[in-house]
Amino acid sequence: MRFVIIGNGVAGINAAGKIRSRDSGAKITIISSESDHFFSRTALMYVFCGQLSAEDVEPYERDLYARKNYERIRGRVAKVDSGKRVLALTNGEIITYDRLLVASGSCPLKPNYPGIDLDGVGNFVTWQDLEWLTEKAKTARKAIVVGGGLIGIETLEILHLAGIKTTMMVREDYFWPIAFSKAEGDMITAHVHSHGVEMLLSTETAEVLGENGKVTGVRTTKGDTLEADLVVFAIGVRPQTDFLKDSGVELDERGGIIVDEKLATKAPDVWAAGDCTSVVWFNGVRRPEQLWYTGRDQGRDAGFNMIASESERQNYVRGTFYNSAKFFDIEYTTGGYVNFNFDGECDWFQCDLTNETSQRITYLADGSVVGFNMLGSRWDHRLFVKWVEEKRDIKWVLERLGEACFDEEFSKKFKVVESAPA
Amino acid sequence: MQTGLLNTYNKSVSNRSVIAWVLSGVLLTFYVLMYFTEFFAPIAAKLHLGGKWGLYGTLYTLFIVVFGIVFIRRHGKTRYQKLRTVSIMFFQVVFAFALPHVMEMFDTPGYNFAYFWPLNYSAFYPSNIINQPLPFILYSFLGSLILVPILTFMYGKRWYCSWVCGCGGLAETAGDSFRHLSSKTSKSWRFERFSIYAILLLAVLTTAIVVSGFILSAKSGGEYSAMYPVFSKVSNGVKGFYSFFVGAILSGVIGVGLYPLMGSRVWCRFFCPLAALMGLIQKFGRFRITVKDEMCISCGNCSAYCEMGIDVRQYAQNNQDFKRAACVGCGICAHVCPRGVLKLENKWDFASWGDAAGVEHADV
Ligand SMILES: Cc1cc2nc3c(=O)[nH]c(=O)nc-3n(C[C@H](O)[C@H](O)[C@H](O)COP(=O)(O)OP(=O)(O)OC[C@H]3O[C@@H](n4cnc5c(N)ncnc54)[C@H](O)[C@@H]3O)c2cc1C
Ligand code: SF4
Repeated sequence: MRFVIIGNGVAGINAAGKIRSRDSGAKITIISSESDHFFSRTALMYVFCGQLSAEDVEPYERDLYARKNYERIRGRVAKVDSGKRVLALTNGEIITYDRLLVASGSCPLKPNYPGIDLDGVGNFVTWQDLEWLTEKAKTARKAIVVGGGLIGIETLEILHLAGIKTTMMVREDYFWPIAFSKAEGDMITAHVHSHGVEMLLSTETAEVLGENGKVTGVRTTKGDTLEADLVVFAIGVRPQTDFLKDSGVELDERGGIIVDEKLATKAPDVWAAGDCTSVVWFNGVRRPEQLWYTGRDQGRDAGFNMIASESERQNYVRGTFYNSAKFFDIEYTTGGYVNFNFDGECDWFQCDLTNETSQRITYLADGSVVGFNMLGSRWDHRLFVKWVEEKRDIKWVLERLGEACFDEEFSKKFKVVESAPA
Repeated sequence: MQTGLLNTYNKSVSNRSVIAWVLSGVLLTFYVLMYFTEFFAPIAAKLHLGGKWGLYGTLYTLFIVVFGIVFIRRHGKTRYQKLRTVSIMFFQVVFAFALPHVMEMFDTPGYNFAYFWPLNYSAFYPSNIINQPLPFILYSFLGSLILVPILTFMYGKRWYCSWVCGCGGLAETAGDSFRHLSSKTSKSWRFERFSIYAILLLAVLTTAIVVSGFILSAKSGGEYSAMYPVFSKVSNGVKGFYSFFVGAILSGVIGVGLYPLMGSRVWCRFFCPLAALMGLIQKFGRFRITVKDEMCISCGNCSAYCEMGIDVRQYAQNNQDFKRAACVGCGICAHVCPRGVLKLENKWDFASWGDAAGVEHADV
């Protein structure tokens, strides 16, 4: 049986691993247009800064493909025909499959502002973007990052560290309202400012300005002009599924591949996993979840279901939400559901602005905790997830919060200062 | 971003550039001259530092102090890193450098209380022991055979390797710019497991042979080399070979000379017999690195900056708490992890006794 996997990312490689662990003889082909080796997309910023080498960000030794007997094709898929079980590469090569996994990830959202195609305007998502940015950073003197999300702030940090005067434009009136309260967002903004970097809030792009085909700045909707010779758009990503047009694989309105709970599409023997996959969330909404963690889990599950018999196949279960990030020097851990606006939810919150730490716990009217948002120190999300699942009372949790502290040894002992809700 | 790691690969001294090769050449030459010639003796005399070893000790201590301060500026944001670096500097300055000098001023033979068998390979050579006052002899035995195993069982070998030891001290401080150069391949791990236990075996054999030679000699009333000519020859040969090959070449010339090319822990990782011994105890001890399940983003910072060449990420992305014989507990993996996945801990946990959790090729 020939398994073909489109995508050498975390979803694709985990699927391949699962298939191989069940069947040492299966023919497994991995296609990628981006890189020869699986690398950690989350670590692009460290390569840019010279903190890690290209090989450092490859999670497995380079002999992985030989050792696991994966066939590797470096090329771009142009078309898939799920009826005939074939796909075509842009170089004309035709590949047949018995089972296909689409794990093609995301591509950056491209807004249609005037001037978006000027030289010096780009994104920071792929290996090619990294090479582009590295080249541009050599000569750039002033840069703008458009977009107030996680990729945006990572890009802001590395451009700043490269010695480029960089400004971030955030549309919202405080940083990252999707997961932060205003106090949390403001703490990050203040932290960014303390590095001498500017973060403009409530600022939207109207037009990208240029001269002789090269970018010279950005005009905002308020009419202000910001100068820059490098502009990076980080306003979000969308599923990279253009090649599935007319393939017989159903897509949602964002381009996400519609799958059932087994991660199978309606097309025969086509599965999907990772950023390109539109899954149903715990609250019933269907959309892709663009996280490293879910890409990994979906890859494992899709791989398992592809090799398993019909009756053995298992549902992909998202599990309680958790995530992590880092904003310049401030680490972030979350577990459960914050900012989901449940009926009657309240927040317990304390912060220490000198040490740039804060803790927020969201709980419902009956006292049961639903989510944790922690900034500036380290936390064991496993306990958060457990407490949320056990619907623990906020007071019970506050008495034990220190147990979830995961700071390095000899760190200052964590203390609950703010009183528990009555 | 981690202060101090920025641009690691853009600095010519840290990225195996020509400059790094030149530096390595300079270090190798320095060590060869130091160990095998009297080249530095006149300089030492001029500086009133006694013999060449006085000069060497002074330089060594100076490097640990200066680069210890650099290290704290780079990685001292957390107390673990600050404390252990201060500790390393303290043990070098006081125990390895000052105290022996002071003792010599009082006509006691200089003794380094922070230097144990079998790293101190001559600790049990009878010819050394008989020159020492009784309390020191007792300390040599109790320290090496009881104190070291107990502390290692309780806290991992880190209590020594990254808090006390002078070899480790130089690696942690002056070697910090080279820590990412240690090889993470499974091939290098295989070599490590062979080489380090081979040297341990050699160290034990050498001590055993030298001690039996002494006993035989005592029994034979000094006629030992005449009565056992072969054994006496072998015994002297082994002793000489060990001090030349292990004591000088491996721990000195190669151990430090290859910093800029193979990282700062070449000696500690591949050859140190005390590290080998403590590593075995560590596997059964309380110290482990705890991994927060499913939180790793596989970025590779932990593995890249592990000076002992442990592919930490392999455990992190497999949700495996782990004990590795090599780990010196420097804590840098946890320190540089942008997701706070790792934590160094001492914990009673009988279920995992002796569980080395070693996966050579973690399954994807
Ligand atoms: C800068 C940055 C930082 C991030 N940081 C985090 C983080 O801290 N935490 C987190 O949870 N997530 C983070 N993410 C998101 C995370 O990286 C993604 O969710 C994850 O990589 C998705 O994995 P994937 O396997 O679905 O797709 P990808 O990793 O995007 O892999 C897609 C693969 O498909 C191949 N491909 C696509 N189209 C074709 C085609 N037509 N033909 C051939 N091959 C094709 C590509 O070559 C690639 O190999 C970050 C993303 C970026 C860009
Ligand atoms: S444990 Fe931390 S440093 Fe290591 S690969 Fe995972 S996220 Fe990166």
